[in-house]
Amino acid sequence: MRSCTLFFAALVCALPAALRAQPGGNALQSSNILNPNISAVGWLQGEAGRRSGVSEPPPAFAFKEAEIAVQSVVDPYTRADLFLAVEGEGGIELEEGYLTWYSLPGGLSLKAGKFKGAFGKFNLTHRPETAFADRPLVHEAYFGEEGLASAGAGLSWHVPNPWLLLNLDAQAFTLPEAAEMPAFDKARRKDFLYIGRLGGYYDLTEAANFALGGSCAHGAAGREFNPVTVSSSTLSSRLYGLDLTLRWKNPRRAIYRSLFWQTEFLWSRQEITAGSYKNTRGFFSHLEYQFARRWRTGARYDWTQFPGGGAAHESGGLAYLSFASSEFSRLSLQGRQVKKADGTRENLGFLKLIFNIGPHGTDPF
Amino acid sequence: MRFFYLFLFTALFCAAPSQLSAKVKIVTTTEDLAALAKEVGGDFAEVSSIARGYQDPHFVEAKPSYLLKLKKARLFIQAGLELETAWAPALLTNARNPGILPGRPGFMDASDGCAILQKPQGGVDRSMGDVHPLGNPHYWLNPENGRTIARAVARRLSVIDPDNAGGYKANLGAFEARLSEKEKEWDALAGELKGIKVITYHNSWPSFAKRFGIEVVDFIEPKPGIPPSAAHVHFLTGRIRAEGVRLLLVEPYFDLKLPKKIAAQTETTLVVFPPSVGAEESIKTYLDLFDRQLKLLKNSLGKGK
Repeated sequence: MRSCTLFFAALVCALPAALRAQPGGNALQSSNILNPNISAVGWLQGEAGRRSGVSEPPPAFAFKEAEIAVQSVVDPYTRADLFLAVEGEGGIELEEGYLTWYSLPGGLSLKAGKFKGAFGKFNLTHRPETAFADRPLVHEAYFGEEGLASAGAGLSWHVPNPWLLLNLDAQAFTLPEAAEMPAFDKARRKDFLYIGRLGGYYDLTEAANFALGGSCAHGAAGREFNPVTVSSSTLSSRLYGLDLTLRWKNPRRAIYRSLFWQTEFLWSRQEITAGSYKNTRGFFSHLEYQFARRWRTGARYDWTQFPGGGAAHESGGLAYLSFASSEFSRLSLQGRQVKKADGTRENLGFLKLIFNIGPHGTDPF
Repeated sequence: MRFFYLFLFTALFCAAPSQLSAKVKIVTTTEDLAALAKEVGGDFAEVSSIARGYQDPHFVEAKPSYLLKLKKARLFIQAGLELETAWAPALLTNARNPGILPGRPGFMDASDGCAILQKPQGGVDRSMGDVHPLGNPHYWLNPENGRTIARAVARRLSVIDPDNAGGYKANLGAFEARLSEKEKEWDALAGELKGIKVITYHNSWPSFAKRFGIEVVDFIEPKPGIPPSAAHVHFLTGRIRAEGVRLLLVEPYFDLKLPKKIAAQTETTLVVFPPSVGAEESIKTYLDLFDRQLKLLKNSLGKGK
């Protein structure tokens, strides 16, 4: 009898749960609605050719990265965006993870977390989504493989004016070490990296538009010990950037033809010893033409010196042809030649395949 | 430094008047929604749209200049059903205008209350192409849905701008009366079109076809958003002949090279068919759209076999 009572009690307790679990039940539906958007970008890459000065060359073919995006509105005031980079070799890294307060008055928005710094425009694009199998040489030389990103906070303001869309960004980040980002080097825990950018956007015609931006970054470049005074001082590093993006796409034939041109210049002034500075610079220019619904071709030219270095520089070019079987996957065949600082030439070929699953993403503009 | 102060002064000066404008600023994603909002808003509203009628609404670039429009808007209207999912959410998030975000009175999804066709049953994935999991989003092509949208706009404007609620009600009444009159004309025209078989490029026309008795046999795209293969074109030409298809309807933003080839091979009539207000210069209002579409179909049938 007692076991019957227990069985009955268990049944009564289990029933509401079973009802809730019915497919199409209201509880299940509402939980799905409140789930964040989850999407993933997969990046497979093949490489041919010999890299110079590299002891462990990358494998001939590898799953480079899977980028998992989890995005949702948190409450009426904020949204959260998380981007996890799952490396092909097994490591997981938080590429970006930030909260955005988008309901602030006065055309302001506030961002806090780990995110990409507003230095130029290219830096904002995630690695798999760029047109390239590599990164522009100037970005690798100054910002490392992952680009300029760190933990911090930033304010963004749409500057009201009658002529064009003008945006002002002011950001402060914890400063990474030189191994991660060669242009800067954290000397003390309280060292910060400050970034400012003023960017303007203007529609030239219905089909053509351009964006022009000026950026500045300031941070530490390590510490110097003075044996005479037995004291140490923080060295400084300052970067200035100029970016220009020109786009053309006839809205009446938007899926068939387009042209994209982006050029970014970077100037660096790095303190080598107290009061002594090295000025270096670099740039890249990228042109892409979409000549059919599924086909694009493009080329990039690179020239760069190195942060705190002398006149030594690298230059090179990359050209590619890409085919998109749909909006959600793209295959690209690429060739790159780099003239190294020591005068040697490095020739590499790449096959880059990316695919996107999950909700639609938006191209960074 | 003098330049900096001048710049700051101009910025602050420009920030103020946008909040003081007497007319309600409405921004819509498409020109069809803008046309309906103009009918209801009349002299009390200033309406603009992001996409033009000759653009494919699935592939609109999220240009930063649109943020300027959205920033000043008091009402944002979208077609919804994920038609604008690739660009509208990004614009809304970056517009810095909390009043038009989803859930606020300034945000309106026009599909609410409309008759939506082709809601997928069972699972949906991208093996079906760029399918819309909430149903076919080209629902404004049924005038009955236009009426529903206009009523919803009137209700929403009365909440946002209660002082002019009477004006919105009067404008809606006038529009509904003209729409009812037009529907009689359209029904007379559609009588001659009943049962005709057509092929369309994209699956844009289920609402239009159902309302006016036209049969859409197949599509030039094998699946939504997927370009046709040679095998699909071969299959399609066979089907056109077997089913007695008379017209090939192509939205103005698609390349005409392949449709022309199919039309020549199958002796069907190719019609560049406007799906939206603004797709052609003469289509300025919501009522103009159906006038033009039905007359175009009638004239094209006359030209055919």
